[in-house]
Amino acid sequence: MSTLTTNQTKWKGYEKAAFRFFFIYFVLQALPLDWKYFGNLFRIQWGSLSFGDIFYISRYTPQFVSGSTTPGTWGIGTLADWALLAGIALIGAIVWSLSDKKSENYNKLYYWLRVILRYRLAIGIIAYGFIKFFPMQSPLPSISNLNTSYGDFNRWKLFSLSLGIVPGYESFLGLVEIIVGLLLLFRKTTTFGAVIILIFTGNVFISNIAYDGGEALYALYLISIALILTAYDALRIYNLVALRKPTAPNTVKISLSGQWRASRLVLKSLFIFFFVFLYGYKTYAAYHYDIYQYPKAKGLAGAAGLYNVSDFRINSKQLPYSQTDTNRWNDVVFEKWNTISIGSLKRFKADTSVTEEISRNNDDRKYELDGTTGRAYYSYVADTVKHVLLLKNRNSNYKADQFSLNYARSANGTIVLKGVDHNRDSVYAQLDKVNKKYLLQEAKQGRSKALKL
Amino acid sequence: MATTVITPEAGEISETSLNNKQEQAAPIREQPARKEWTATQRVAFRIAFIFFIIMCIPVTGEWWNNLVTINWFHLHYRDLYDIARFSPSIYKFQNPAYNLLGYIDWVEALVIGIAGGLIWTAADKKNKQYHNLYYWLRVVVRYRAGIGIIGFGFTKLFPVQMPYPSLGVLNAHFGDLTAQKIYWLSVGIVPWYQVFAGVVELAAGTMLFFRKTTTFGAILLLGALGDITYVNFAYDGGVHVYASYFVLFSAFLLWYDAVPVYNLIVKERFTVPPVLIPVFTQKWLKVTRVVLKTGTIGIFLVWLYYLQYVNFKYDPYKQPSTSGVKQLRGNYNVTEFKLNGQDIPYSPLDSVRWQGVTFEKWSSLTFNVNKPLNLDLSNGGGAAMRDINRNFELTGVAGGKRVFYYDADTVNKVLYLQDKLPEAGKRKGRRDNGGGGDKTGNGKIAKSFIPAEVQKNIRNEVTAIDPAAQSTRRKRGVPQELKDKRKRAHMILNYTADATGAHIVLAGKDDKKNDVYIVLDRVNRQYALTDSKLVAGKY
Repeated sequence: MSTLTTNQTKWKGYEKAAFRFFFIYFVLQALPLDWKYFGNLFRIQWGSLSFGDIFYISRYTPQFVSGSTTPGTWGIGTLADWALLAGIALIGAIVWSLSDKKSENYNKLYYWLRVILRYRLAIGIIAYGFIKFFPMQSPLPSISNLNTSYGDFNRWKLFSLSLGIVPGYESFLGLVEIIVGLLLLFRKTTTFGAVIILIFTGNVFISNIAYDGGEALYALYLISIALILTAYDALRIYNLVALRKPTAPNTVKISLSGQWRASRLVLKSLFIFFFVFLYGYKTYAAYHYDIYQYPKAKGLAGAAGLYNVSDFRINSKQLPYSQTDTNRWNDVVFEKWNTISIGSLKRFKADTSVTEEISRNNDDRKYELDGTTGRAYYSYVADTVKHVLLLKNRNSNYKADQFSLNYARSANGTIVLKGVDHNRDSVYAQLDKVNKKYLLQEAKQGRSKALKL
Repeated sequence: MATTVITPEAGEISETSLNNKQEQAAPIREQPARKEWTATQRVAFRIAFIFFIIMCIPVTGEWWNNLVTINWFHLHYRDLYDIARFSPSIYKFQNPAYNLLGYIDWVEALVIGIAGGLIWTAADKKNKQYHNLYYWLRVVVRYRAGIGIIGFGFTKLFPVQMPYPSLGVLNAHFGDLTAQKIYWLSVGIVPWYQVFAGVVELAAGTMLFFRKTTTFGAILLLGALGDITYVNFAYDGGVHVYASYFVLFSAFLLWYDAVPVYNLIVKERFTVPPVLIPVFTQKWLKVTRVVLKTGTIGIFLVWLYYLQYVNFKYDPYKQPSTSGVKQLRGNYNVTEFKLNGQDIPYSPLDSVRWQGVTFEKWSSLTFNVNKPLNLDLSNGGGAAMRDINRNFELTGVAGGKRVFYYDADTVNKVLYLQDKLPEAGKRKGRRDNGGGGDKTGNGKIAKSFIPAEVQKNIRNEVTAIDPAAQSTRRKRGVPQELKDKRKRAHMILNYTADATGAHIVLAGKDDKKNDVYIVLDRVNRQYALTDSKLVAGKY
């Protein structure tokens, strides 16, 4: 291995000092050195690798202090982690400065630091790119979501729902991330990729703050890496574009020979295969067979839709329609999957997750009820022989809320539910299907036409 | 006056401070700032020149009419905004299919550009380059794009472009909104994010005013407006043409540096950038330049900042500017509803009984009925002065929601209500139904259903607004909009309310001349959505 430079530049003292600090800091930030991370890695079942596993691999940030064992929890502890790494880097840089009086420059190290950061950033950005390109991160709204008041969602959920209604746009955003990630995999196009990340992920960062999302610090982490990568050419570009002076290009190149060259090729190919092709294929497959935000289990056949509760009784006492009675069910939604949601005047403590989580387990897929207080969400298991639904409240704040209901379906779509609920009250509900037309869908033909709805 | 093209001399190159001082003299393979252009470059430039000039110069009578009728001593933000906001309008076809999604004007400009460019080519055999013209074309485009985006930026910096949802909209179901509405609301719920978007647009625009920062401003503009263009296509937002107008300009401005930067970064070549800098020799030219530049920045950055601040504070243009009856505000349940003396019990399926009543902080009453209604699917924009014509709270919202504007006679406790959605029929083919008085009126103020003797108890629309926000535009605009002949359903309802307004009784005639008697009780509706302290308007 050798470094090819057309000139052996001599760095200034402060340049060398700054480099030593940033080198240690960013190596600690980017290389997986956190033992907890490996704990996660060893739990992966490689035989049935899912895109979620690769997603989590991509989302490494060191958590020495915050000590979170699940990747993707960023908060105050993250800042403590960063401070710790900065402290180590400062001490390291001082020791290094004292012991190294000889080096004229760190061109070679700078090159390798860039390599590490380029690949780290590429993985991070591509991981999010594919789950948008195959529009899963923000899926189409569920029927329950369509029948919830706008004000009954929190900001983060509204942000996601707003993206979810336009899958084409979501794919476009994903494509931008994928292309940018690919630009980072090549030295010569790195600067362009890094600049786009500053703009794109800069917006993600601000969005996370504005909408109370949970990934602001992770976005900032990626931005800090993009900044370091941009800094490499920043002065040159400023010189050329703003000052309009003749400008010399980067001249530091590493030329690998023999087996180094071969291993580089193998490593790079493996990397691209794993994080681009394999991951891309796995997300594609998931998009077609199992969108991770919603449960995979099928719901009662032919039942999906919105129902008005035309007759409702508790302990055989009929409750009329009411604007104040919180016990009365007003409407019920059957989703295509095994969820029913009940709309009433009761308000619930919302289950809220603000980071992107991918789960194989149906019970943990809570996108439909995430960040909303409007309806009660139950998963169910249907015994289609005895006509019984075993209901379980999906909200983790109401875990004890479990009961079973008999159901009877008639030809016109009416469903009658009968049983004893969690409070030991007997419940009777007649559900009449509503052929609800949604403006969101009806207006798809264009807004310039007159519409009565 | 002359524009010099500075081709760096050898001496200059070695003097240039570079990262690597001991750089061995790399061969200059290319002189980017060639003195002479190829024939193709010249033809392309002539076409581009004419095309971009047409794109940048306002030609509509409306624009000039606005410009000359402005009262510069009592400005409204919209006066300056309208100067900043124009795009070429050459010829539109009757058949919408021929208008190419609204891009027909661009195509027409290009056709004129090609024709003109070819004629120019035939006539001009002498010039071998157009460095001078290229410089000035860039100046025109820079200022056009800069002023335009700043006009937009300020409506976000002071978040009024996308208002926070009214109570009526908060209560609307997600599926009962258009995609366009959902997108705009999603920005409206986070005013600080809107401020951020405004800062980005303003930064991009400001950077375009200065030669050194032009390229960086153009990159920012391309990123931001490229996204907005796509958003407008995806959500059927309706302003994709105007958004991509800036994308086109930023792409043109980036063209200048694209090849040099590519050479430097990707090809890793020693690069000499083209340098176009005007040299002003005559003093009056120097003075003119400074005056024009200072004037532009003064008007579009400083003055517009102030006017937009006033707009945000007292008169947010997408929501009504004056307050409603203070006592009557909030969400209400309809406890009792009598139609012509007959009691109608609550049922969500009933098609006449009111449900989910709200009194907004401004003068709007909304309620739901369970029946299909005509909808207004416009984006609720425009420059309406009258509150009744500011319809963001009802556009793109279905689910049986009716929105009424009211004038309150607070002496006799009577509300004079008018449907904010004019009756269908006259509305057809009109995209912008805000402040359309001049289009449908025949010069006379429409006869009001409010008795003359009551008028004195009702606040004057023009002066009801905070004095700081008064403007000539408002004084002219309100009477103009009063000539609007479109029919609106109206109701006259007496109201009695307790001191806090928690219990209200409305009685009178509804829009179908039925006797109604309605008892409302306020509900303290808790939303999962948290609002922001940064709110527009004074109510």
